[in-house]
Amino acid sequence: MSNSKTPSVGTDLEQVIEQLRKSEERYHKMIAEVEDYAIILLDADGIIQNWNRGAEKIKQYRESEVIGKHFSIFYLPEDIQDNLPERLLRIARENGRASQEGWRKRKDGTRFWGSITITALHDDDGAVIGYSKVTRDLTERKIAEDQQDEATDRLKALNAELTLSEERYHQMIAEIQDYAIILLDPEGNIVNWNAGAQMIKGYSSEIIGSNFNVFYTAEDRKRKLPETLLDYARTHGRANHEGWRVRKDGSTFWGYIVITALHDKSGALIGFSKVTRDLTEKKMAEDRLVAYANELENRNRELEQFAYVTSHDLQEPLRKIRTFTEIIQKNEGNPAVVSRYFEKINRSAERMTNLIKSVLNYSRLSRGNSGFVNVDLNEIMTQVQADFELLIAEKNATVQVDKLPVIRGDHQQLEQLFSNLVSNALKFTNSDPVVRIQSRFVGTEQIINRPDHVQEQRYVEVLVADNGIGFEPKYADLIFTMFQRLQDTQDYAGTGIGLALCKKIIENHQGFITANSEPGKGANFYVYFPDRTPSQ
Amino acid sequence: MLIDDDQDDQEIFSMALEDINSDIQCVMASNGIAALEKLKAKKPLIPDYIFIDMNMPRMNGMECLQEIQKLDHLKDADVFMYSTSSDETMIEKSKALGAKDFIVKPPGLALLTEKLMQVFKMQAGR
Repeated sequence: MSNSKTPSVGTDLEQVIEQLRKSEERYHKMIAEVEDYAIILLDADGIIQNWNRGAEKIKQYRESEVIGKHFSIFYLPEDIQDNLPERLLRIARENGRASQEGWRKRKDGTRFWGSITITALHDDDGAVIGYSKVTRDLTERKIAEDQQDEATDRLKALNAELTLSEERYHQMIAEIQDYAIILLDPEGNIVNWNAGAQMIKGYSSEIIGSNFNVFYTAEDRKRKLPETLLDYARTHGRANHEGWRVRKDGSTFWGYIVITALHDKSGALIGFSKVTRDLTEKKMAEDRLVAYANELENRNRELEQFAYVTSHDLQEPLRKIRTFTEIIQKNEGNPAVVSRYFEKINRSAERMTNLIKSVLNYSRLSRGNSGFVNVDLNEIMTQVQADFELLIAEKNATVQVDKLPVIRGDHQQLEQLFSNLVSNALKFTNSDPVVRIQSRFVGTEQIINRPDHVQEQRYVEVLVADNGIGFEPKYADLIFTMFQRLQDTQDYAGTGIGLALCKKIIENHQGFITANSEPGKGANFYVYFPDRTPSQ
Repeated sequence: MLIDDDQDDQEIFSMALEDINSDIQCVMASNGIAALEKLKAKKPLIPDYIFIDMNMPRMNGMECLQEIQKLDHLKDADVFMYSTSSDETMIEKSKALGAKDFIVKPPGLALLTEKLMQVFKMQAGR
């Protein structure tokens, strides 16, 4: 662009021209003075025609050094190879303008980040006569942006890693099947739930939002066990517990649980993790071991009783036989004495036979309930009455039997049981015995004199009552011990095994026996069978 | 005195005493309650020796021993347990309760006679 003076034609024209010149000069000046933008005029081939202060500042070339040179001198070799300068001109030519951001080269070879707009300039006919090229140095912004991007990328990568890790962790917890892992809020409401929890407790995601106390038995809830455990975890960090828990279907399992309090960075409680392991099988195995140990202990006690039998009750007739034999030898010439003591020897031998039979009966009682069938106690009583027909007639006894239930049990053992009880009632009643047998269903709380360890359930109670000599209340337990006789052997024959046998039979049927009496007022024997209404 | 519910044993015991010395007087009681009635009567019985069977109805030998120990006028009587069984814990317990000895009923009259003579000799020679 030339700023040579145009000769004046007239004052008006001169004024106009002068105004135009001034305007162009201002314009020129403005462009020349702009420091923040490199504003360059290129001809149609990209050769630099004009150069401003901004261009000098940004690109470090003086005007004289660049005028007439191709503008590609500002481009990096790789961009030149890539034909970027030509491409930009073509775009500007075709679209009117081209914008681009990229690294450019200063005179000293250092780089700057330029934001470039190339605008095509046309003559009145629309032909391209050149280009204006405005470049802004955005290096600082670029660096800041790059740093920002880098930081963002780093964060993104970190985030991705964390997400992956958290996902893996979640997945891991979700997939664990052997442990129920549950997240609780500070009030004990369920927030999260894994596959193990579903497997062990039977609930699926519908449980979320419920309080975790649904897993506890009614009894544990009543004694506030869930709250106690949370409180303990809250104050001590964690709480362990082993006990029966309830599944969705109401069945129970033996759970080992650890509740751990969870805190945020400030130390405030945000909830609890609860890990539960189903140890039912282990518990069952342990229980079986305990039951086995108890069984062994019981058998051991019985063996001890047998040892006592052999040392005492079986020795007694033997000792007497030897003594009586000696007396007979000393009195060989006295037939009356000889005959009397032969008789005594006979009685001792007979007593010994009975003892051995009873002990054998006792030891042969089969255990377990494998042979259990439905037994009609009415039939049993009919049989027992038939067995004692003679004795009942002899003693002028009355036996009153109410309607009795059908129970699960061993037929032979139950016959033996009621036979012993009826025999006892008849034996210990001297005149006109009245034996009453009746039954009812009772709850544990209705049982008088019930043993301590009796299981809470419904029982069938069968009462065998007599109007006989009775016994002191303090012997109510003792009478069921082997060889415990309350009465003189002379007056009431017996081996001392009958009631011990009854007790054992009832224990075989998971029941128990109690007795109450007062001397002279008859005796009541109560037999309790667990109420298992049998299938017909 | 012999406290024993077994009438055969009462008879055998009497025979053994007869063999030792027919002058010995022995009172029999079939159980602890009957024995205590006699020992606590207005004109109480004061035996030199008391033999108590272990396994008896109404009141067992051990309970009977404890009751007898409470009676002041029997302080000088020698009380023996006399039983078929020879259970160690019973023997120890009875001695702890004040029984002089625990005599196991021997299998034979001669053996019993011998045992009782030993007891009387030992106590007489104190």
